[in-house]
Amino acid sequence: MVQDTRLIEIKDVCKSFGDTEVLHHINLYIRKCEFVTLLGPSGCGKTTLLRLLGGFETPTSGQILFDGADVAQVPPYKRRINTVFQKYALFSHLNVYDNIAFGLNLKNPEALGAKSRSEKKEEIRRRVERMLKLVKMEGFEKRSVDSLSGGQQQRIAIARALVNEPEVLLLDEPLGALDLKLRKEMQVELKSMQQQLGITFVYVTHDQEEALTMSDNVAVMNHGRILQIGEPKKIYDEPKSAFVADFIGESNIIPGVMLEDDLVEMLGVKFPCVDEGFGENEPVDVVVRPEDVMIVGTDVGMLTGTVESVIFKGVHYEMMIDIGPMRWKVHSTTMQPAGSRVGLTVVPYNIHIMRKEA
Amino acid sequence: MIRKSRGAARVLKGSYLALVLAFLYLPILVMFALSFNESVSRASWTGFTLDWYVQLFHDQNIINALKVTLEVAVIATAASVVIGTLGAIGMYCMKQGWFNLMAVLSNIPMTMPDMVTGVSLMLMFVFVKVPLGKATMIMAHIAFDIPYVLLSVLPRLQMMNPNIYEAALDLGCKPRQALTKAIVPEIAPGIVTGGLLAFTMSLDDFVISYFTSNTDQNLAMIVYSAARLGVKPTMYALSALMFVCILALLLIVNRRSGLEIL
Repeated sequence: MVQDTRLIEIKDVCKSFGDTEVLHHINLYIRKCEFVTLLGPSGCGKTTLLRLLGGFETPTSGQILFDGADVAQVPPYKRRINTVFQKYALFSHLNVYDNIAFGLNLKNPEALGAKSRSEKKEEIRRRVERMLKLVKMEGFEKRSVDSLSGGQQQRIAIARALVNEPEVLLLDEPLGALDLKLRKEMQVELKSMQQQLGITFVYVTHDQEEALTMSDNVAVMNHGRILQIGEPKKIYDEPKSAFVADFIGESNIIPGVMLEDDLVEMLGVKFPCVDEGFGENEPVDVVVRPEDVMIVGTDVGMLTGTVESVIFKGVHYEMMIDIGPMRWKVHSTTMQPAGSRVGLTVVPYNIHIMRKEA
Repeated sequence: MIRKSRGAARVLKGSYLALVLAFLYLPILVMFALSFNESVSRASWTGFTLDWYVQLFHDQNIINALKVTLEVAVIATAASVVIGTLGAIGMYCMKQGWFNLMAVLSNIPMTMPDMVTGVSLMLMFVFVKVPLGKATMIMAHIAFDIPYVLLSVLPRLQMMNPNIYEAALDLGCKPRQALTKAIVPEIAPGIVTGGLLAFTMSLDDFVISYFTSNTDQNLAMIVYSAARLGVKPTMYALSALMFVCILALLLIVNRRSGLEIL
């Protein structure tokens, strides 16, 4: 699906508002038909980066290449990019049909392959109907947008953007205002729309699960920098820093010391691991996922601890286990009662070593 | 015992309300009644007549004043709607500090006594050597109408989704198109309300018009100068008609803003 040609290239882009730098030397490329997610906590600069792509802001320095041409100074109405805004930004003075037709009405008849005004009108009607079908909102043409629910407004906002056949669709936390169930449904629908239409999607969210579910590639951001770019599985399995590990899924982060290649010491115990290339006795952060900790008998565990609390989470139990200097979060399908003594062990390839963040 | 005092309280409450309403509306009712009285005397009711209303529309002075009033109100409303709406959009785009400053500056003229506005405008026109007349009256009306337009357009802008302008650009509008095709239609209800308010204010203004005009008189000025020579029943009829018109306009404004709250 994802093609190899680079559609958008962001080269060394910085953006400041007054004295505050919100984007710091951003480098990123986006390929044709790719679903890229910018993921990070609020205030990390992800929305600003999206607004640069949309043309609503201009970079302080650096280049934004679209098909090889620098578009940093090109206004939004000249870009082949459309946006789905955070709170939809539908036009409340227009009904559903006219909202979707808004962009097409601005175009010349020739641009729509029509020879006359009446042909243009007919073509617009055809395209709007097709979009309404795509977002499953047929029959809502004459409704006022204010009478729609949040989920329905969301669909109209997506249709209004997609009907212009953009090469790139930008989505700014589009599912943020929906309830959990609707959000999950829309995630699946958005992904299938993207694959069906073959359009590049750039998606902004702070929800790591959303990012992992839908994306071909995820860029994790914090403090105006991209910390890691990669496929969801790769980012989850091989986070490059403690921040990424913690933000993508849950983690136990333990200070440790790298004794030699493939051997780390933490909590006074030597753990074999699979990481190499660190300095001898280099202090590191060790990341262990809660689901990677195995509960075993106290006699065979590498560590021992006391179960402090147990929460039933549906598929698994989440246990907080007190192991002296700190507490670990452990996920397991079998429950250990609170107060019991347990042994804990972690296999080498589930131990992730991170360089200390500056 | 308790029931009795409750009853007393209710009577007291009712009569108080009746007193307030009577104080406000009885004079107007009396004026309406007298405008239909056959006798010139205010003391005796001799029979029902519409003569005063007929006379009113045969009085060339009054017809002229009506023309001046409408001309001034229509032009001033149109101009203040354009200036006020653009001003409101400009203020909306300002940073918080400047916005607050502008909001205060544009509110002061509304609370200022008409006398002050009238005299200062007159002085300014004299100072820059613009002869007083219909044109200066229109300019003065535009000046005091603008804050009313601002006041009804700004809340609509603040209620609007902050991304509307950008959404219009995104869908292919040039900046000016985004203004006319997206922003203005979105805030149109506020613009109409502002226009109605401005029109009402222009229609019944006396003090500011008196200071900024010369021989061109509007209806309020006619009523005032007639009163000095002894009030004739035609003036009751004229005042009654003005009251009805302004009441109608205010009812429309109230209904509109009521709808927006819903």
